[in-house]
Amino acid sequence: MSDLRQNLLLAALSAAQLKRLARNMEAIEMPLGDVLYESGRHSSHVYFPTTSIISLLYVLESGASSQIAVVGNDGVIGVSLFMGGETTPSRAVVQSAGVGYRLPDRAIKDEFHRGGPLQHLMLRYTQALITQMAQTAVCNRHHSVDQQLARWLLHSIDRLGVPHITMTQELIATMLGVRREGVTEAAGKLQKVGVIRYRRGHISVLDRPKLEKHACECYEVVRRETARLLPWVAPH
Amino acid sequence: MEGPARIAPIRNGLLERLPLARRARVISGCERVQLASKESLAEPGGEMRSVYFPTGSSISVLVPMGLSLPPEVRLAGSEGFYGIAVALGMTMSPMHARVQEPGSAWRMGSGAFRRELARTPPLRDCIDRYIFVTMAQLMRNAGCNRFHVVLQRVARRMLMTADRAHSATFRLTHESLANVLGVRRVGVTEAASVLQKRRLIGYSRGVVTILDRVGLERAACACYRDDIALYRRYLG
Repeated sequence: MSDLRQNLLLAALSAAQLKRLARNMEAIEMPLGDVLYESGRHSSHVYFPTTSIISLLYVLESGASSQIAVVGNDGVIGVSLFMGGETTPSRAVVQSAGVGYRLPDRAIKDEFHRGGPLQHLMLRYTQALITQMAQTAVCNRHHSVDQQLARWLLHSIDRLGVPHITMTQELIATMLGVRREGVTEAAGKLQKVGVIRYRRGHISVLDRPKLEKHACECYEVVRRETARLLPWVAPH
Repeated sequence: MEGPARIAPIRNGLLERLPLARRARVISGCERVQLASKESLAEPGGEMRSVYFPTGSSISVLVPMGLSLPPEVRLAGSEGFYGIAVALGMTMSPMHARVQEPGSAWRMGSGAFRRELARTPPLRDCIDRYIFVTMAQLMRNAGCNRFHVVLQRVARRMLMTADRAHSATFRLTHESLANVLGVRRVGVTEAASVLQKRRLIGYSRGVVTILDRVGLERAACACYRDDIALYRRYLG
C-alpha cells in the first residue's frame, strides 16, 4: 500500500478508496522503450507510474512522432478511457525505466463513475494534461531544439526526483520529433557551458538554475499550472 | 459531394446531440449573445465566468507565450464549445480565448453549467466526449505544427474556418493566419498565392473564397480529414 502512494495522484485518495482500487492494482516493470499504449488501439488498462517516466507521443502516418506530454509519478496514463474514448490517440513509451501499477479499465471506470474524490482528481489531472499538451503543441513550432531539450530534461528530473536520467540521443530525438544531430548539438552546447554532463546514455544535470534559463517559458507555464491544479504533486 | 463533408450542424453540434427535452432545459439556462470580432472571453489566470456554445461564431484558444500575439492551439465553432476547464471543475482560465469569427453563441454562467452537468448525464457524456476529441486534436496539432509544411497548414486552417463559418467565403487576412499558425507572414502569402494559382481559392482584400473544396482538401494535410473522422466517430 505504501508503494501505491509513490504515485502522487493515488496518494491524494482516501485510504478507503485506495483500498478499493488496490484489489485490482497490479505492480509492473516498465523497461526503457516499452510501449504501454499504441496509438489507435484499444487499451485495457490505465497506468500509474511510480519510479518510471512515460512519454506521450503523437505518431503521424509517415511514422514520424512528436512528444505531447511527459507523465511520471505525478500522473496517470489513460485519461481518454474515462473521458469516453475507446482508443488512445497517442503512443505511450517508457522514457525512463522503473516500475508502476496498472489497473483494468473497468475498475477505474467504476470508481470514476461513483463520483467523489477520484473523479474530481482525474478531472483536475486532465486539465493539467491539456495545458501541457497545448503548450507543447505550440512549443514544437516556436522554440529551438536547445530550449526544448532543456524543458524536457527539467520535466523529467522533476518527476524522477534525482538529477540523472538514462537515455540515448536516438530516443531523445524520436521523442522530441527532431533529427538526432539536432539533439547531439543541443546536448553538446549544454555540456560545454557546464549545465549537464552526458556520458554513454547517462545525463546528469549539474546546474539546475542555469538549465532553467536555457529552457523556453513553456517549462515554467506547465510547472506553475500543475502546481495550481495539483499542489501536492508539484515539484519544489 | 464526395469526400469528407463539412461539420455543418444546425445551431450547435453538442447541444443538438441532447434529447429534445434536456436540450430545451439546457438552452433555457443560456443567454443568446453576439460575439464581436477579436472580443476577449478569457485571459490566462482570469476567472471563467461563462461557457459558450457557438452557433454562428468561432472562438480561438491561444497559448500564453510571452509574445504580443499568442499562437492558436484550437478553434471551437458551432461543432463544439468553449469552457473545457469549467467542465473539469476549474474556475480559472489557463489560456487566452478570443473571438475569431464574430457571430452568435449560447452563453451560460459557469455555476449554472456545472449544476447542469451534474444533473444531466447526457450533457456530461457529450462534454466528456468533446474533451476527448479535443485532446486528440491537441495531440494532432503537436505533430502538425512540427512536421507539416506551411501550404498544408494554410489549406487546413482555411477549411476549418469555412466549416465554422458555414460559408465558402470568409474573412481571413494573411496577418492573422500567420499569427494563428505561428509562421512568418511571407510564408502564408506564398502558400496562399500557390493555392490561388491552382484555382483552389480566391483571395481579395482579406476575404477568402473556396473555389475548389475537394482540391483544397487534397492540398491540406491529413489532419483536417482525421479531425472530422474523429469528431464523427465520437460526436456524429
